[in-house]
Amino acid sequence: MPHLEVSDVRARYGSLEVLSGVSFTVDRGEVVALVGPSGSGKSTVLRLLVGLLPPSGGTVRVAGEPVDYRRAAMVRAVRDRMAIVFQQYNLFQNMDVLKNVTLAPVRIKGRDRREVEDLARRLLDRVGLGDKLHAYPDELSGGQQQRVAIARALAMQPEILLLDEVTSALDPELVNEVLEVIRDLAREGMTMILVSHEMAFVREIADRVVMMDKGSVVEEGPPAEILDNPRTARARDFFGKILRH
Amino acid sequence: MNYTFQFGVVWRDFPYLLDGALLTFQIGLLAFWGGALIGLVLAAFKTFGPRPVRWLVDAYVVFLTNTPALIQIYFLYYGLAEFRIRWSGEFCLLLGLTLNAGAYLTMIMRAGFLSVRRTEMEAGEVMGMSRLQQVRYVVAPHIAKTIYPALANFFIVILVMGTSVGAIIGVNELTGQAITRASFNYRWLEYFTVVAGMYVVLTFIASIGLALFGRWAFRVKARVF
Ligand SMILES: Nc1ncnc2c1ncn2[C@@H]1O[C@H](COP(=O)(O)OP(=O)(O)OP(=O)(O)O)[C@@H](O)[C@H]1O
Ligand SMILES: [Mg+2]
Repeated sequence: MPHLEVSDVRARYGSLEVLSGVSFTVDRGEVVALVGPSGSGKSTVLRLLVGLLPPSGGTVRVAGEPVDYRRAAMVRAVRDRMAIVFQQYNLFQNMDVLKNVTLAPVRIKGRDRREVEDLARRLLDRVGLGDKLHAYPDELSGGQQQRVAIARALAMQPEILLLDEVTSALDPELVNEVLEVIRDLAREGMTMILVSHEMAFVREIADRVVMMDKGSVVEEGPPAEILDNPRTARARDFFGKILRH
Repeated sequence: MNYTFQFGVVWRDFPYLLDGALLTFQIGLLAFWGGALIGLVLAAFKTFGPRPVRWLVDAYVVFLTNTPALIQIYFLYYGLAEFRIRWSGEFCLLLGLTLNAGAYLTMIMRAGFLSVRRTEMEAGEVMGMSRLQQVRYVVAPHIAKTIYPALANFFIVILVMGTSVGAIIGVNELTGQAITRASFNYRWLEYFTVVAGMYVVLTFIASIGLALFGRWAFRVKARVF
């Protein structure tokens, strides 16, 4: 049974249909890369999965259980199992790094503060920010903020981690640090959906690649297959452009 | 000019002036908090309310920020008297200042409401925060921090400029008290010199208090001067 199953999911912003029947699956411990041109709906898929945008059709199943996004209790349950890291980090500007990471586990999930702080310190160490516990977001570089955002998501102890172009705002050296963290997570068997334009990284880390265009899946398969021998003209065109860079 | 300063009378009257300063501070504080409450409610109406309500809020703000506080207080004190509504000078001053502050503070709070970043609320939401928790942990602290410097400045404005209007309707706040006392012995210059100094001290204490509080509560790096 797949850990996550998305079947024929649709979504709209007002009258604009941005997802017109998206289907793919993610197995337990699998890393699936979501790729595709800008505006193809990658972020929308992730936002929909965590309940920020209600689907207008189709089904999402987590561990076989269909999720009814109209029911608040169910959305809460999904958010317990999935964490998302946004493209623009979205840290809480009025809290320091440690507070950003510990707030939700302590205040929302009611876990023991001491334990959560220990976990937060370990996570922040791991993303190379062990010395920035009391810095505020506006005192950090984009790369550092993004790593805080990753630590914050991990502190929620999710089963499934959704990463939306987490390296797109980073300096080249920092990209590697962040990718190293993601590599580790993959090795530890975290189920992940990774939206990325870093094709070299996708090739290295993804078990499967799902390519989207104009709100639907164009092609999917193992990275070697889809990146090097795309079957569809659309995918050939896209990878041809992006890989030449 | 051969005016000889004689501060002796002023020092003898100093307890009166202190009373005046205390009244100034009390009226300033009450008008500020009353105004802040009005501002909070009206800014919320203006941001989330239906169109007619937003329009009413606009009318209130435009009307009260574009007429002098003095006229508004005159209206309450003398104008309403024509309709047999007679309130004390203190009450008219307090009410007038509160309504006036409410209008300015609506604008300040509104700026705070507009500065809320939806994305931060979303981050809270996906971590399981209810709407109320988002307001408590993300929105409210952010608004407070954003508008704090403007609020602190405005408090000083009410404290010094607002309350002194009371002198004209016979309220013995600091300026009024000075005028009352000086009219016995015509030592205007001495009284106003001392009173100016007292305003500076009052402002100084309020500014330091506000700056320290802001730094402690919201990490606001407020200037004292
Ligand atoms: N809040 C919104 N309101 C209206 N339309 C939106 C909104 N957010 C996204 N869209 C539209 O939805 C479509 C899909 O956007 P989405 O952000 O999912 O693309 P993406 O694949 O993540 O692109 P990128 O690679 O640039 O991040 C786009 O056409 C976009 O203009
Ligand atoms: Mg995107």
